[in-house]
Amino acid sequence: MRPAILLPILLILIPVSMALQDLIPALPPAQEHIQLLPVLFCFGVLALPLVPALFFALATAVVGGLSVLQIQSGQAEFGLAWPIVFFLIWTIILQMASETTRGMRWELHALGSALVTVTLLAGEFLILCAKRGGFPVGLTVLLRIVIPSALSLLIAPMLYLMLRKLVPLSPEAVMESTTSPEI
Amino acid sequence: MKKVHIAAIVLLVSIGIALCCFDAGTLRSLQSGLLAIISPISRSGHAVKSSLAGIGKDLMTLDQLESEYRRLLEENRQLRAENNGLRDLQEDNDHLRQVLGYRERSSFRLVPAAVLGHDSSAWWSSIKINRGTKDGVAVDMPVITDKGLVGKVTAASSNLAEVLLVTDENCKVAAKVEGTREQGISAGSRAPEGELRLAFLSKLADLQPGQKVYTAGVSGGVFPSGIALGTVKSFHARELDGEAILEPTADPGSLEEVFVITGAK
Repeated sequence: MRPAILLPILLILIPVSMALQDLIPALPPAQEHIQLLPVLFCFGVLALPLVPALFFALATAVVGGLSVLQIQSGQAEFGLAWPIVFFLIWTIILQMASETTRGMRWELHALGSALVTVTLLAGEFLILCAKRGGFPVGLTVLLRIVIPSALSLLIAPMLYLMLRKLVPLSPEAVMESTTSPEI
Repeated sequence: MKKVHIAAIVLLVSIGIALCCFDAGTLRSLQSGLLAIISPISRSGHAVKSSLAGIGKDLMTLDQLESEYRRLLEENRQLRAENNGLRDLQEDNDHLRQVLGYRERSSFRLVPAAVLGHDSSAWWSSIKINRGTKDGVAVDMPVITDKGLVGKVTAASSNLAEVLLVTDENCKVAAKVEGTREQGISAGSRAPEGELRLAFLSKLADLQPGQKVYTAGVSGGVFPSGIALGTVKSFHARELDGEAILEPTADPGSLEEVFVITGAK
């Protein structure tokens, strides 16, 4: 499937995944939530060529950033700079990894999803600590980082298979689309 | 790399930098736009979730239904009796408030709302409700249940709003402890666990577990006074002040229906 068709489908799936992850109830023991956005992001940047992948990453960053936006005393506590930088860096890393493995692979998607989730949650926590002060690391904090990341690792193959059925895209097609001069 | 690709990357980087420079007002407008986009998805998802939950509820045996009916009948009688007692108390209260010249603050205009979902982020504690600017809901309006305070509206689109819960570290509420002159500031924790911390109390405060805590209603604040916030679980003195751990009266994990205070009657 060409990026011209795949990209709009993935862009529509961003708000859908946001709404879905809010609807899924939190899990015990520390009220952890399943994170679908990093899993979708990994699929998108692995399946798309560089330029559409960067555009997709920017859209993911804006939606992800706005979903956690808090205005305190007229100032945005958590602006869009962090998610934009974060998702663009991961786009470049995953594109390079995709080239190394010569195309998109489910293992790479699963591992990437887990790593993006763990770095996203840990990064958010560190920024909050820097802004609000204190460094209250406890078992709850660790569980809230580790469990959603492990869940991303587990659900990534399922989402991969589902999306591949929805948007049939062979590894060869990905490689062609990244090298083809017509795109 | 082709020139078109380089131009596209430069354009994307420029858009990224422009987005990073947006002020709080613009970001809030963008957030309202995002809420408007996800509103139909959240509402449909909530409807499906409710109907799925309803299937289990409908499958009750006749015995269960009969016992439920008896329980509700008993509860109804009890509530009627309590209501009669409260009516007298309300009259007394109104009279005393008039005598003291205080503004009547116990009557609010309430907009009922259903909770569509809990925020999936790890470090923020918020919910989405199915009411928005179309229903008179606006940013900074308090949200309550019949049990007590829930939080305040932080973003609103035409028919969806986001509510920051009292269990979030950023939701600070001026509060007073029942039966004492102690006042403090309540807030949640960074990884919200369902508890509140009431800080800036006196080091020598004599607080006992089970004491009720209400909003203090400071002038210019968001929350009116007298709304139940929680009950004291424990108290400990710190270097400069005292801090109490509170159990919120409205359990944030099981919220289904809430009310937005849109103003006074």
